[in-house]
Amino acid sequence: MTGPGSLHDLLIESAARTPGALAVDGPGGTATYAELDARAGALAGVLAARDVRRGDRVLVWGPKTPDTLAAMQAVLRLGAAYVPVDPLSPVARVVTIAREAGARVLCAPADLLPRVPDDAGELPVRVGTAARPGAPVRTTRVLTGRDEPAYILFTSGSTGTPKGVTISHGNALAFVRWAVTELAASPEDRFANHASLTFDLSVLDIYAAFSVGATVCPVPTEVAQVATRLVDFLHRHRITVWYSVPSVLALMRREGGLLDRPAPGSLRALLFAGEPFAIHHVRELAAWTGARMLNLYGPTETNVCTCHEVRPGDLTRGVPVPIGRACSGDRVWARTSDGRTAGPGEEGELLVSGPTVFLGYWGRPPQRGPYATGDRVRVRADGSFDYLGRNDGQVKVRGHRIEPSEVTAALHTHPEVLEAAVVALGDGLDRRLAAFVHRAPGSALGNIALRRHLARSLPPQMIPDEVHFVDELPRNDRGKLDLAALVAHHNP
Amino acid sequence: MTAMQEREEIAAKLLAFIRNSFLAGDPQGELTGDTPLLALGILNSLNTATLIAYTQEEFGVKVPLHDVSPENFKSVDSLSSMVHERRSTADA
Repeated sequence: MTGPGSLHDLLIESAARTPGALAVDGPGGTATYAELDARAGALAGVLAARDVRRGDRVLVWGPKTPDTLAAMQAVLRLGAAYVPVDPLSPVARVVTIAREAGARVLCAPADLLPRVPDDAGELPVRVGTAARPGAPVRTTRVLTGRDEPAYILFTSGSTGTPKGVTISHGNALAFVRWAVTELAASPEDRFANHASLTFDLSVLDIYAAFSVGATVCPVPTEVAQVATRLVDFLHRHRITVWYSVPSVLALMRREGGLLDRPAPGSLRALLFAGEPFAIHHVRELAAWTGARMLNLYGPTETNVCTCHEVRPGDLTRGVPVPIGRACSGDRVWARTSDGRTAGPGEEGELLVSGPTVFLGYWGRPPQRGPYATGDRVRVRADGSFDYLGRNDGQVKVRGHRIEPSEVTAALHTHPEVLEAAVVALGDGLDRRLAAFVHRAPGSALGNIALRRHLARSLPPQMIPDEVHFVDELPRNDRGKLDLAALVAHHNP
Repeated sequence: MTAMQEREEIAAKLLAFIRNSFLAGDPQGELTGDTPLLALGILNSLNTATLIAYTQEEFGVKVPLHDVSPENFKSVDSLSSMVHERRSTADA
C-alpha cells in the first residue's frame, strides 16, 4: 500500500509540499495550507491539554470556515474521531448527538459555545475554534490504524433517535483515493463544497482537495439553496469540480439561470449523488457544458460504492441515468427476494462489501459482512445497475435522508397530538416533507407552536415544510394508516 | 415617514408575505416579529430564495451573499432591520 495511512496525513503532507497554496477559499474565509496546518496544530495542542485522547469523540459544531476545518483535522491528529454538527442545528440536537456519541468535548466558535447550557450535563469541555496567537503548536500526531474511527456522521434513524455512522480512516481513504484517481485531481483544481459537513458528499470535496494540494471552496450553509448565489459562486470561484445532490443543480437551473450563462470555462467535472436525477435535467446540462458528468451512488454507510459516467447513449433513455458499477475498491451485487444473486434484467436489494463499508453505528454492534443498503436495483445487461427505490419508508428531501417515522415520533411527543403522519410530497425540486396532524378534542395547537415543539429535538431539515391539521387520517381496509392515500390526495 | 415607521411598514409586509406564502395564512395569528424563522423550519432552504426574491421586488433591496446569514434571517425583526438599512444606504 502506498500513500498516507491516516486521513489527517493528507493535509499535513500537502502543507509540507506546497505551504503557500490556497487550501480553503470561500465566503467563510481563506487559508493557505501552511495556515490551515498551523491552526490544526495549535488547536490539537489545546485539545490535548483538555485531555482529548486517542479513541475519544469530539463534536465540531460550526459554519464552513477554515477554523471549523482545522478543528476536524486537530481532532484526527490526536487519534480521536470528530462528529460534525450543522451550524443551524438546535441545541437539543447537539446535546442528543453528544449523548449518542459519548462525546465529552465540544469544539465551536465563540458565538455558538454559550448556547449549550452548562447544566445540560453533556459536553463539560468547551473549546473555541478561533485561532489563538501564541498557542503552542502540537506537531506530533497519532498514526492511526486503518480500522480506527475518523468521523461519525449522524443520520435520521427510524426509531426516533439519530444513528451515528462510524467511518474509519481506511473507509474514508479508500473512497478519497478512488475519487482522486477517477477525477485525475490536480493542485490546480478548485473543488466546490456544497454539501453540509455533516453529509458524506463533503468528504470528497475536502479530502480530494487535501490529497493533491488543491483548493476547497465551501458554500456557506445559509445560501446552500439560494439558486442565484450558487450560480454566482460557481462562476466567481472558478470551480473545476462541482458535487451536489441533483435537486440543487435543478434549482440552479430553474431559479438561478444556470443555463442562461455559458458554462464557466474552469468547470471540468459535474458530480451528483443522493437521489435520482430526472433525465431531462441531465440532457440540458450535457448540452450546456463539456464537463464530465458522473452519477455517484452510495448510502452514508458505504460512501460512494458505485459510479456511472454519463455518456451520450444515456441521454436518449426516458429514465434516470444508471448508478453504474462498483468503485472505491468495493464489490456490489443485487440479492433477489429469494436470496439469489440477481442476474441481468432481475431486481434485488443492493449489497456492498469492501473497504468503504463502515465500522457500524456508534454504540451498537459492529458491522460484519456485506452491508445491505435497503435500496432496490435492477441489473442491466452489462452488469451495471439501475436504481429503483427504497425497500422501507426512508425519503429524501432536498438530498437530506429522512425517516418519516422519526419525525412522526417527535410529533407524537406533543400532548395535544392525537395522531400524526409524515410523508414526502412532490418530486425533484418540489419535494417536501408534509405532516398531517389530528389534534386532541378542543386543542387549538397552532402551526408555529407545533414547530417550536419539534425544534426542541429535530434539526431544521427534518421539520416539515408543511403542517396540515386534519379531522381524520385515511385508513385502508385493514384499518392501517394509508400513507399512499395521503400522498395521492395531496400531490397535484 | 420616520425611520421607525418605515421599519414597521417593512416588517408588516414581510409578516404578511411569510404568513400567506409559507404558513397557509397563519389562521391562529402566531407569527410575530421575533418568531425564529430558521430554527422552526418556517424558512427552509428553498423558500429562503423566494423571500429574497420578494425583498428585491417589493423593496428594491438586493441581498448580497455575505448578508444571507443566520443573524439576518433569524426573524422578521432582523430581516426588517437589514432591509431598512440596505434601503437607507441605497437612498443616501
